[in-house]
Amino acid sequence: MIAVRGAPAVQLLGRLRSSNERVFYGVFGFVGLTLAWEIAANTGLFRKSLLSSPSAIWKAGVIDIGAGTLWPHVGTSLEEFAIGFIVSVAIAIPLGLAIGWFRRIDYFLNGLLAALNATPNVALIPLIILVAGIGFESKVIVVFLSAFFAVVVTTFTGVQSIARRHLEITRSFGGSRWLAFRTVALPSTIPYILSGVRIGAGRALVGVVSAEFISANQGLGFYIGFFGTFLDTARVMLGIVLFGIFGVVLGELLRVVEHRFDVWRPELHR
Amino acid sequence: MRSGHLALSARGVQMQYRDRGTGKTLLAIENVDLDVPDGAFVSLLGPSGCGKSTFLKIVNGLLPATAGEIKLHRVAKGREDAMVFQDAALFPWYSVLDNVAYGLVCAGVSRGEARKRAVPFIDLVGLKGFDDKYPYQLSGGMQQRANLARALAVDSAILLMDEPFAALDAQTRELMQAELLRIWNAAKKTVLFVTHQIDEAVYLSDRVVVMAARPGKVIADIEIDLPRPRPLSVKRTPEFAVYEERIWRLIAGEYEHARVASQPDAAS
Repeated sequence: MIAVRGAPAVQLLGRLRSSNERVFYGVFGFVGLTLAWEIAANTGLFRKSLLSSPSAIWKAGVIDIGAGTLWPHVGTSLEEFAIGFIVSVAIAIPLGLAIGWFRRIDYFLNGLLAALNATPNVALIPLIILVAGIGFESKVIVVFLSAFFAVVVTTFTGVQSIARRHLEITRSFGGSRWLAFRTVALPSTIPYILSGVRIGAGRALVGVVSAEFISANQGLGFYIGFFGTFLDTARVMLGIVLFGIFGVVLGELLRVVEHRFDVWRPELHR
Repeated sequence: MRSGHLALSARGVQMQYRDRGTGKTLLAIENVDLDVPDGAFVSLLGPSGCGKSTFLKIVNGLLPATAGEIKLHRVAKGREDAMVFQDAALFPWYSVLDNVAYGLVCAGVSRGEARKRAVPFIDLVGLKGFDDKYPYQLSGGMQQRANLARALAVDSAILLMDEPFAALDAQTRELMQAELLRIWNAAKKTVLFVTHQIDEAVYLSDRVVVMAARPGKVIADIEIDLPRPRPLSVKRTPEFAVYEERIWRLIAGEYEHARVASQPDAAS
Protein backbone atom coordinates (compact mmCIF):
# COMPACT_ATOMS: atom_id res chain seq x y z
CA MET A 1 0.00 0.00 0.00
CA ILE A 2 1.47 3.31 -1.03
CA ALA A 3 0.36 6.41 0.79
CA VAL A 4 -0.18 9.38 -1.49
CA ARG A 5 0.16 12.73 0.15
CA GLY A 6 -0.78 15.96 -1.60
CA ALA A 7 -1.05 16.93 -5.26
CA PRO A 8 1.84 16.12 -7.67
CA ALA A 9 3.07 19.72 -7.71
CA VAL A 10 3.18 19.82 -3.92
CA GLN A 11 4.94 16.46 -3.95
CA LEU A 12 7.56 17.79 -6.35
CA LEU A 13 8.11 20.82 -4.17
CA GLY A 14 8.35 18.57 -1.16
CA ARG A 15 10.90 16.32 -2.85
CA LEU A 16 12.92 19.35 -3.89
CA ARG A 17 12.87 20.55 -0.32
CA SER A 18 13.96 17.30 1.26
CA SER A 19 16.65 16.65 -1.36
CA ASN A 20 18.51 19.76 -0.28
CA GLU A 21 16.75 21.61 2.47
CA ARG A 22 19.59 24.06 3.06
CA VAL A 23 19.64 25.31 -0.53
CA PHE A 24 15.85 25.27 -0.84
CA TYR A 25 15.17 27.48 2.17
CA GLY A 26 18.22 29.61 1.43
CA VAL A 27 17.05 30.52 -2.10
CA PHE A 28 13.48 30.89 -0.89
CA GLY A 29 14.49 33.36 1.83
CA PHE A 30 16.80 35.36 -0.42
CA VAL A 31 14.32 35.75 -3.27
CA GLY A 32 11.46 36.49 -0.88
CA LEU A 33 13.26 39.24 1.02
CA THR A 34 14.59 40.85 -2.17
CA LEU A 35 11.07 40.97 -3.60
CA ALA A 36 9.69 42.43 -0.37
CA TRP A 37 12.37 45.15 -0.44
CA GLU A 38 11.61 46.03 -4.07
CA ILE A 39 7.87 46.22 -3.42
CA ALA A 40 8.33 48.27 -0.27
CA ALA A 41 10.62 50.73 -2.08
CA ASN A 42 8.18 51.18 -4.98
CA THR A 43 5.08 51.57 -2.83
CA GLY A 44 6.76 54.42 -0.96
CA LEU A 45 7.08 52.64 2.39
CA PHE A 46 10.43 54.43 2.83
CA ARG A 47 12.38 56.98 0.83
CA LYS A 48 14.10 55.36 -2.14
CA SER A 49 16.97 57.83 -1.90
CA LEU A 50 17.88 56.52 1.56
CA LEU A 51 17.53 52.76 1.24
CA SER A 52 17.59 52.37 -2.54
CA SER A 53 15.97 49.30 -4.10
CA PRO A 54 17.18 46.01 -5.62
CA SER A 55 16.41 47.21 -9.16
CA ALA A 56 18.32 50.47 -8.64
CA ILE A 57 21.31 48.56 -7.24
CA TRP A 58 21.17 46.20 -10.21
CA LYS A 59 21.14 49.16 -12.65
CA ALA A 60 24.08 50.83 -10.90
CA GLY A 61 25.98 47.54 -11.03
CA VAL A 62 25.32 47.06 -14.77
CA ILE A 63 26.46 50.63 -15.51
CA ASP A 64 29.64 50.48 -13.42
CA ILE A 65 30.63 47.04 -14.63
CA GLY A 66 29.99 48.12 -18.21
CA ALA A 67 32.15 51.22 -17.75
CA GLY A 68 34.87 49.17 -16.05
CA THR A 69 34.86 51.42 -12.99
CA LEU A 70 33.83 48.76 -10.44
CA TRP A 71 36.36 45.96 -10.93
CA PRO A 72 39.49 47.90 -9.95
CA HIS A 73 37.90 48.57 -6.55
CA VAL A 74 36.83 44.95 -6.09
CA GLY A 75 40.23 43.70 -7.26
CA THR A 76 42.12 45.98 -4.89
CA SER A 77 40.07 44.89 -1.87
CA LEU A 78 40.36 41.21 -2.81
CA GLU A 79 44.10 41.47 -3.22
CA GLU A 80 44.56 43.29 0.08
CA PHE A 81 42.45 40.69 1.79
CA ALA A 82 44.02 37.65 0.16
CA ILE A 83 47.65 38.62 0.76
CA GLY A 84 47.08 39.87 4.32
CA PHE A 85 44.93 36.92 5.32
CA ILE A 86 47.04 34.14 3.83
CA VAL A 87 50.29 35.50 5.28
CA SER A 88 48.55 36.03 8.61
CA VAL A 89 47.23 32.46 8.85
CA ALA A 90 50.50 31.00 7.61
CA ILE A 91 52.39 32.64 10.47
CA ALA A 92 49.67 32.52 13.15
CA ILE A 93 49.04 28.75 13.04
CA PRO A 94 52.65 27.63 13.58
CA LEU A 95 53.11 30.32 16.25
CA GLY A 96 49.91 29.22 18.03
CA LEU A 97 51.03 25.59 17.92
CA ALA A 98 54.45 26.50 19.33
CA ILE A 99 52.91 28.56 22.14
CA GLY A 100 50.53 25.74 23.01
CA TRP A 101 53.16 23.03 22.91
CA PHE A 102 56.11 24.75 24.63
CA ARG A 103 55.27 26.06 28.07
CA ARG A 104 58.07 28.65 28.12
CA ILE A 105 57.03 30.27 24.84
CA ASP A 106 53.53 30.44 26.32
CA TYR A 107 54.77 32.23 29.48
CA PHE A 108 56.79 34.59 27.33
CA LEU A 109 54.04 35.66 24.90
CA ASN A 110 50.72 34.85 26.51
CA GLY A 111 50.04 38.15 28.28
CA LEU A 112 51.06 40.25 25.31
CA LEU A 113 48.93 38.25 22.87
CA ALA A 114 45.90 38.23 25.14
CA ALA A 115 46.10 42.03 25.39
CA LEU A 116 46.54 42.49 21.65
CA ASN A 117 43.70 40.09 20.93
CA ALA A 118 41.43 42.06 23.23
CA THR A 119 42.33 45.39 21.59
CA PRO A 120 39.91 46.32 18.80
CA ASN A 121 42.14 46.23 15.74
CA VAL A 122 40.39 49.23 14.25
CA ALA A 123 42.09 51.29 16.94
CA LEU A 124 45.44 50.50 15.34
CA ILE A 125 44.50 51.70 11.86
CA PRO A 126 45.45 55.39 12.24
CA LEU A 127 48.87 54.35 13.55
CA ILE A 128 49.38 51.86 10.73
CA ILE A 129 48.47 54.46 8.13
CA LEU A 130 50.91 56.85 9.75
CA VAL A 131 53.67 54.27 9.48
CA ALA A 132 52.84 52.52 6.20
CA GLY A 133 51.00 55.21 4.27
CA ILE A 134 47.52 55.24 2.76
CA GLY A 135 48.28 52.76 -0.02
CA PHE A 136 48.09 49.04 -0.55
CA GLU A 137 50.68 48.10 2.11
CA SER A 138 48.85 49.64 5.03
CA LYS A 139 45.65 47.72 4.13
CA VAL A 140 47.56 44.44 3.93
CA ILE A 141 49.03 45.13 7.35
CA VAL A 142 45.61 45.90 8.81
CA VAL A 143 44.18 42.65 7.36
CA PHE A 144 47.19 40.71 8.62
CA LEU A 145 46.81 42.04 12.18
CA SER A 146 43.01 41.72 12.20
CA ALA A 147 43.16 37.97 11.55
CA PHE A 148 46.42 37.22 13.32
CA PHE A 149 45.55 37.33 17.01
CA ALA A 150 42.27 35.43 16.69
CA VAL A 151 44.06 32.59 14.90
CA VAL A 152 47.01 32.50 17.31
CA VAL A 153 44.84 32.56 20.41
CA THR A 154 42.37 29.88 19.27
CA THR A 155 45.23 27.68 18.06
CA PHE A 156 47.17 27.72 21.30
CA THR A 157 43.98 27.34 23.31
CA GLY A 158 43.30 24.26 21.20
CA VAL A 159 46.71 22.75 21.89
CA GLN A 160 46.27 23.42 25.60
CA SER A 161 42.86 21.71 25.58
CA ILE A 162 44.23 18.34 24.42
CA ALA A 163 42.85 15.50 26.56
CA ARG A 164 45.61 14.46 28.98
CA ARG A 165 44.61 10.86 28.51
CA HIS A 166 45.46 11.11 24.81
CA LEU A 167 48.97 12.39 25.53
CA GLU A 168 49.36 9.62 28.11
CA ILE A 169 48.73 6.98 25.44
CA THR A 170 51.71 8.05 23.33
CA ARG A 171 53.90 8.14 26.42
CA SER A 172 52.61 4.79 27.63
CA PHE A 173 53.63 3.11 24.37
CA GLY A 174 57.02 4.79 24.38
CA GLY A 175 56.33 7.29 21.59
CA SER A 176 58.43 10.44 21.36
CA ARG A 177 57.19 13.94 22.14
CA TRP A 178 57.50 14.83 18.46
CA LEU A 179 55.28 11.85 17.61
CA ALA A 180 52.77 13.03 20.22
CA PHE A 181 52.78 16.45 18.59
CA ARG A 182 52.11 15.08 15.11
CA THR A 183 49.64 12.36 16.02
CA VAL A 184 47.83 13.87 19.02
CA ALA A 185 48.32 17.63 19.29
CA LEU A 186 47.83 18.44 15.61
CA PRO A 187 44.65 16.44 14.90
CA SER A 188 42.95 17.42 18.14
CA THR A 189 43.76 21.09 17.54
CA ILE A 190 42.42 21.21 13.98
CA PRO A 191 38.81 22.04 14.98
CA TYR A 192 40.16 24.97 17.03
CA ILE A 193 42.39 26.15 14.19
CA LEU A 194 39.48 26.06 11.77
CA SER A 195 37.24 28.13 14.01
CA GLY A 196 40.15 30.52 14.56
CA VAL A 197 40.55 30.89 10.80
CA ARG A 198 36.81 31.50 10.49
CA ILE A 199 36.85 34.23 13.17
CA GLY A 200 40.03 35.65 11.66
CA ALA A 201 38.48 35.84 8.18
CA GLY A 202 35.56 37.82 9.55
CA ARG A 203 37.83 40.24 11.37
CA ALA A 204 40.07 40.61 8.32
CA LEU A 205 37.08 41.59 6.23
CA VAL A 206 36.15 44.22 8.80
CA GLY A 207 39.78 45.32 8.65
CA VAL A 208 39.68 45.89 4.87
CA VAL A 209 36.51 47.95 5.00
CA SER A 210 37.62 50.02 7.99
CA ALA A 211 41.03 50.80 6.58
CA GLU A 212 39.59 51.79 3.21
CA PHE A 213 37.01 54.00 4.90
CA ILE A 214 39.60 55.85 6.91
CA SER A 215 41.91 56.64 4.05
CA ALA A 216 42.33 55.14 0.62
CA ASN A 217 42.01 56.01 -3.03
CA GLN A 218 40.86 52.63 -4.23
CA GLY A 219 39.00 49.59 -2.95
CA LEU A 220 35.45 48.61 -2.27
CA GLY A 221 35.43 50.32 1.14
CA PHE A 222 36.60 53.53 -0.56
CA TYR A 223 33.86 53.05 -3.22
CA ILE A 224 31.20 52.84 -0.53
CA GLY A 225 32.51 55.85 1.35
CA PHE A 226 32.98 57.91 -1.80
CA PHE A 227 29.44 57.42 -3.14
CA GLY A 228 28.04 57.83 0.35
CA THR A 229 29.20 61.46 0.34
CA PHE A 230 27.23 61.96 -2.92
CA LEU A 231 24.09 60.35 -1.46
CA ASP A 232 24.32 57.71 -4.23
CA THR A 233 22.75 55.02 -2.06
CA ALA A 234 22.39 52.51 -4.91
CA ARG A 235 26.19 52.38 -5.26
CA VAL A 236 26.68 52.34 -1.49
CA MET A 237 24.33 49.37 -1.36
CA LEU A 238 26.10 47.74 -4.30
CA GLY A 239 29.36 47.86 -2.35
CA ILE A 240 27.68 46.40 0.71
CA VAL A 241 26.09 43.63 -1.36
CA LEU A 242 29.45 42.79 -2.94
CA PHE A 243 31.07 42.56 0.50
CA GLY A 244 28.17 40.36 1.56
CA ILE A 245 28.63 38.05 -1.42
CA PHE A 246 32.34 37.89 -0.72
CA GLY A 247 31.66 36.99 2.90
CA VAL A 248 29.30 34.19 1.90
CA VAL A 249 31.70 32.75 -0.71
CA LEU A 250 34.53 32.87 1.83
CA GLY A 251 32.34 31.12 4.39
CA GLU A 252 31.47 28.37 1.92
CA LEU A 253 35.15 27.88 1.01
CA LEU A 254 35.98 27.49 4.70
CA ARG A 255 33.11 25.04 5.05
CA VAL A 256 34.63 22.88 2.31
CA VAL A 257 37.96 22.89 4.15
CA GLU A 258 36.22 22.03 7.44
CA HIS A 259 34.38 19.10 5.83
CA ARG A 260 37.69 17.48 5.02
CA PHE A 261 38.35 17.14 8.74
CA ASP A 262 34.85 16.21 9.81
CA VAL A 263 34.94 12.45 9.41
CA TRP A 264 35.86 11.62 12.98
CA ARG A 265 33.85 14.29 14.79
CA PRO A 266 30.76 12.57 16.16
CA GLU A 267 28.90 15.77 17.05
CA LEU A 268 28.65 16.53 13.33
CA HIS A 269 27.10 13.20 12.39
CA ARG A 270 23.76 13.38 14.05
CA MET B 1 53.12 -21.94 29.05
CA ARG B 2 54.61 -21.25 32.49
CA SER B 3 58.32 -20.94 31.89
CA GLY B 4 59.17 -20.26 35.51
CA HIS B 5 60.27 -16.71 34.70
CA LEU B 6 58.79 -13.75 36.47
CA ALA B 7 57.19 -11.38 34.01
CA LEU B 8 57.07 -8.72 36.71
CA SER B 9 58.83 -8.40 40.02
CA ALA B 10 58.20 -5.39 42.28
CA ARG B 11 60.00 -4.79 45.56
CA GLY B 12 59.24 -2.15 48.16
CA VAL B 13 57.40 0.14 45.78
CA GLN B 14 56.41 3.37 47.46
CA MET B 15 54.66 6.44 46.17
CA GLN B 16 54.53 9.74 48.01
CA TYR B 17 53.04 12.96 46.82
CA ARG B 18 52.50 16.41 48.20
CA ASP B 19 48.92 17.49 48.60
CA ARG B 20 48.71 20.84 46.80
CA GLY B 21 46.01 22.12 49.13
CA THR B 22 47.50 21.30 52.52
CA GLY B 23 51.17 21.01 51.54
CA LYS B 24 51.40 17.77 53.50
CA THR B 25 53.20 14.73 52.18
CA LEU B 26 50.83 11.82 51.65
CA LEU B 27 51.66 8.17 51.19
CA ALA B 28 49.68 6.75 48.28
CA ILE B 29 51.44 3.39 48.15
CA GLU B 30 53.44 1.87 50.97
CA ASN B 31 56.00 -0.85 50.39
CA VAL B 32 54.29 -3.03 47.81
CA ASP B 33 55.93 -6.32 46.79
CA LEU B 34 54.47 -8.23 43.87
CA ASP B 35 55.58 -11.09 41.67
CA VAL B 36 53.74 -12.00 38.49
CA PRO B 37 54.90 -15.27 36.88
CA ASP B 38 55.08 -15.64 33.12
CA GLY B 39 51.72 -16.50 31.61
CA ALA B 40 49.75 -15.81 34.78
CA PHE B 41 46.60 -13.73 35.17
CA VAL B 42 46.95 -11.68 38.36
CA SER B 43 44.44 -9.12 39.61
CA LEU B 44 45.04 -6.18 41.88
CA LEU B 45 41.81 -5.69 43.78
CA GLY B 46 40.98 -2.84 46.10
CA PRO B 47 38.72 0.12 46.80
CA SER B 48 39.22 3.41 44.98
CA GLY B 49 42.10 5.33 46.51
CA CYS B 50 44.15 2.23 47.34
CA GLY B 51 46.75 3.14 44.73
CA LYS B 52 46.17 0.17 42.44
CA SER B 53 45.97 2.29 39.30
CA THR B 54 48.92 4.35 40.49
CA PHE B 55 50.90 1.14 40.89
CA LEU B 56 50.02 0.16 37.33
CA LYS B 57 51.19 3.54 36.05
CA ILE B 58 54.46 3.12 37.89
CA VAL B 59 54.95 -0.28 36.24
CA ASN B 60 54.11 1.29 32.88
CA GLY B 61 56.60 4.11 33.44
CA LEU B 62 53.99 6.87 33.37
CA LEU B 63 54.80 7.77 36.97
CA PRO B 64 58.10 7.55 38.83
CA ALA B 65 57.96 5.68 42.15
CA THR B 66 59.49 7.52 45.10
CA ALA B 67 61.13 4.30 46.30
CA GLY B 68 61.41 0.65 45.37
CA GLU B 69 62.30 -1.37 42.34
CA ILE B 70 60.36 -2.75 39.38
CA LYS B 71 61.80 -5.47 37.20
CA LEU B 72 60.11 -6.43 33.97
CA HIS B 73 61.13 -9.52 32.11
CA ARG B 74 62.15 -8.51 28.64
CA VAL B 75 61.14 -10.57 25.65
CA ALA B 76 63.36 -10.69 22.59
CA LYS B 77 61.31 -8.19 20.62
CA GLY B 78 58.63 -5.69 21.50
CA ARG B 79 57.99 -3.76 24.67
CA GLU B 80 58.10 -5.13 28.19
CA ASP B 81 54.62 -3.93 28.95
CA ALA B 82 51.54 -2.49 27.30
CA MET B 83 48.64 -0.68 28.92
CA VAL B 84 44.93 -1.15 28.36
CA PHE B 85 43.36 2.07 29.62
CA GLN B 86 40.10 2.54 31.42
CA ASP B 87 38.25 4.87 29.08
CA ALA B 88 38.52 7.55 26.38
CA ALA B 89 41.61 5.72 25.31
CA LEU B 90 41.13 5.71 21.54
CA PHE B 91 41.98 8.66 19.33
CA PRO B 92 38.70 9.88 17.83
CA TRP B 93 40.53 11.07 14.69
CA TYR B 94 41.89 7.59 13.92
CA SER B 95 40.05 4.60 12.49
CA VAL B 96 40.07 1.34 14.43
CA LEU B 97 42.94 0.14 12.26
CA ASP B 98 45.09 3.20 12.94
CA ASN B 99 44.26 3.13 16.65
CA VAL B 100 45.29 -0.52 16.94
CA ALA B 101 48.44 0.16 14.91
CA TYR B 102 49.36 3.16 17.09
CA GLY B 103 51.33 1.26 19.72
CA LEU B 104 53.55 -0.13 16.98
CA VAL B 105 53.96 3.34 15.46
CA CYS B 106 55.12 4.54 18.89
CA ALA B 107 57.69 1.75 18.84
CA GLY B 108 59.09 3.14 15.58
CA VAL B 109 57.37 0.78 13.15
CA SER B 110 56.39 2.48 9.87
CA ARG B 111 52.70 3.28 9.47
CA GLY B 112 52.14 0.82 6.62
CA GLU B 113 53.89 -2.03 8.40
CA ALA B 114 52.09 -1.22 11.68
CA ARG B 115 48.73 -1.39 9.91
CA LYS B 116 49.61 -4.74 8.38
CA ARG B 117 50.60 -6.14 11.76
CA ALA B 118 47.50 -4.73 13.48
CA VAL B 119 45.02 -6.65 11.34
CA PRO B 120 45.30 -10.10 13.02
CA PHE B 121 44.79 -8.49 16.44
CA ILE B 122 41.65 -6.72 15.24
CA ASP B 123 40.38 -10.13 14.18
CA LEU B 124 41.47 -11.72 17.48
CA VAL B 125 39.45 -9.30 19.60
CA GLY B 126 36.38 -9.82 17.40
CA LEU B 127 36.40 -6.55 15.45
CA LYS B 128 36.86 -8.07 12.01
CA GLY B 129 35.24 -5.79 9.43
CA PHE B 130 35.40 -2.72 11.69
CA ASP B 131 38.90 -1.65 10.61
CA ASP B 132 37.85 1.61 9.04
CA LYS B 133 35.21 2.62 11.59
CA TYR B 134 35.86 5.60 13.86
CA PRO B 135 35.57 5.30 17.66
CA TYR B 136 32.29 7.21 17.82
CA GLN B 137 30.77 4.53 15.60
CA LEU B 138 31.60 1.80 18.14
CA SER B 139 29.83 0.75 21.33
CA GLY B 140 31.70 0.99 24.63
CA GLY B 141 32.47 -2.72 24.57
CA MET B 142 33.83 -2.53 21.02
CA GLN B 143 35.98 0.46 21.93
CA GLN B 144 37.54 -1.55 24.74
CA ARG B 145 38.16 -4.43 22.32
CA ALA B 146 40.12 -2.02 20.12
CA ASN B 147 41.93 -0.70 23.20
CA LEU B 148 42.90 -4.27 24.04
CA ALA B 149 43.96 -5.03 20.46
CA ARG B 150 46.32 -2.04 20.47
CA ALA B 151 48.04 -3.34 23.60
CA LEU B 152 48.21 -6.90 22.23
CA ALA B 153 49.68 -5.72 18.91
CA VAL B 154 52.91 -4.42 20.46
CA ASP B 155 53.66 -7.98 21.58
CA SER B 156 54.70 -7.11 25.12
CA ALA B 157 55.72 -9.54 27.84
CA ILE B 158 52.98 -8.30 30.15
CA LEU B 159 49.62 -6.67 29.63
CA LEU B 160 48.61 -4.02 32.17
CA MET B 161 44.88 -3.52 32.37
CA ASP B 162 43.50 -0.54 34.30
CA GLU B 163 39.83 -1.27 35.10
CA PRO B 164 39.14 -1.70 31.38
CA PHE B 165 35.50 -2.69 31.82
CA ALA B 166 34.55 -0.24 34.58
CA ALA B 167 32.62 2.06 32.26
CA LEU B 168 30.60 -0.72 30.61
CA ASP B 169 27.09 -1.79 31.56
CA ALA B 170 26.81 -4.97 33.64
CA GLN B 171 25.89 -7.34 30.81
CA THR B 172 28.52 -6.07 28.40
CA ARG B 173 31.06 -6.27 31.21
CA GLU B 174 30.33 -9.98 31.82
CA LEU B 175 30.57 -10.69 28.12
CA MET B 176 33.88 -8.83 27.90
CA GLN B 177 35.25 -10.76 30.87
CA ALA B 178 34.57 -14.05 29.08
CA GLU B 179 36.03 -12.59 25.88
CA LEU B 180 39.14 -11.48 27.73
CA LEU B 181 39.74 -15.03 28.97
CA ARG B 182 39.32 -16.38 25.45
CA ILE B 183 41.79 -13.80 24.08
CA TRP B 184 44.20 -14.34 26.98
CA ASN B 185 44.17 -18.05 26.23
CA ALA B 186 44.69 -17.47 22.51
CA ALA B 187 47.40 -14.81 22.88
CA LYS B 188 49.27 -16.54 25.74
CA LYS B 189 49.85 -13.30 27.62
CA THR B 190 50.77 -12.42 31.16
CA VAL B 191 48.17 -10.05 32.60
CA LEU B 192 48.17 -7.69 35.56
CA PHE B 193 44.56 -6.59 35.90
CA VAL B 194 43.37 -3.77 38.15
CA THR B 195 39.76 -3.77 39.34
CA HIS B 196 37.55 -2.86 42.28
CA GLN B 197 35.05 -5.63 41.51
CA ILE B 198 35.44 -8.82 43.50
CA ASP B 199 33.58 -11.12 41.09
CA GLU B 200 35.56 -9.79 38.14
CA ALA B 201 38.86 -10.46 39.90
CA VAL B 202 37.89 -13.98 41.01
CA TYR B 203 36.45 -14.94 37.63
CA LEU B 204 39.47 -13.84 35.61
CA SER B 205 42.47 -14.54 37.79
CA ASP B 206 44.93 -17.19 38.84
CA ARG B 207 45.73 -14.96 41.80
CA VAL B 208 43.95 -12.05 43.41
CA VAL B 209 46.12 -9.56 45.27
CA VAL B 210 43.93 -7.61 47.69
CA MET B 211 44.91 -4.05 48.55
CA ALA B 212 43.76 -1.67 51.27
CA ALA B 213 43.68 2.11 51.09
CA ARG B 214 45.37 4.97 52.95
CA PRO B 215 48.12 4.11 52.49
CA GLY B 216 47.79 1.59 49.68
CA LYS B 217 49.26 -1.73 50.69
CA VAL B 218 48.85 -5.43 49.96
CA ILE B 219 46.78 -7.21 52.61
CA ALA B 220 46.26 -10.62 51.00
CA ASP B 221 47.36 -12.73 48.05
CA ILE B 222 44.83 -15.43 47.19
CA GLU B 223 45.22 -18.30 44.71
CA ILE B 224 42.02 -18.89 42.74
CA ASP B 225 41.87 -22.61 42.19
CA LEU B 226 38.96 -22.81 39.79
CA PRO B 227 39.34 -25.01 36.69
CA ARG B 228 39.92 -23.46 33.28
CA PRO B 229 38.49 -22.79 30.80
CA ARG B 230 35.93 -20.93 32.87
CA PRO B 231 32.51 -20.38 31.37
CA LEU B 232 30.54 -17.47 32.86
CA SER B 233 28.41 -20.05 34.71
CA VAL B 234 31.38 -20.54 37.07
CA LYS B 235 30.17 -17.39 38.77
CA ARG B 236 27.05 -19.24 39.94
CA THR B 237 28.97 -22.11 41.62
CA PRO B 238 29.42 -22.49 45.41
CA GLU B 239 33.24 -22.56 45.04
CA PHE B 240 33.11 -19.16 43.35
CA ALA B 241 30.88 -17.80 46.10
CA VAL B 242 33.34 -18.99 48.74
CA TYR B 243 36.16 -16.98 47.12
CA GLU B 244 33.94 -13.92 46.81
CA GLU B 245 32.88 -14.20 50.44
CA ARG B 246 36.45 -14.59 51.66
CA ILE B 247 37.69 -11.55 49.77
CA TRP B 248 34.65 -9.51 50.75
CA ARG B 249 35.37 -10.26 54.42
CA LEU B 250 38.97 -9.11 54.00
CA ILE B 251 37.93 -5.83 52.45
CA ALA B 252 35.05 -5.26 54.87
CA GLY B 253 37.34 -6.02 57.81
CA GLU B 254 39.90 -3.55 56.54
CA TYR B 255 37.18 -0.94 56.08
CA GLU B 256 35.98 -1.45 59.70
CA HIS B 257 39.56 -1.21 60.87
CA ALA B 258 40.14 2.04 59.01
CA ARG B 259 36.86 3.50 60.23
CA VAL B 260 37.70 2.88 63.85
CA ALA B 261 41.29 4.03 63.47
CA SER B 262 40.59 7.38 61.86
CA GLN B 263 38.12 10.22 61.77
CA PRO B 264 34.66 9.13 60.60
CA ASP B 265 34.79 11.33 57.53
CA ALA B 266 38.26 10.18 56.49
CA ALA B 267 37.15 6.60 55.91
CA SER B 268 34.55 7.37 53.28
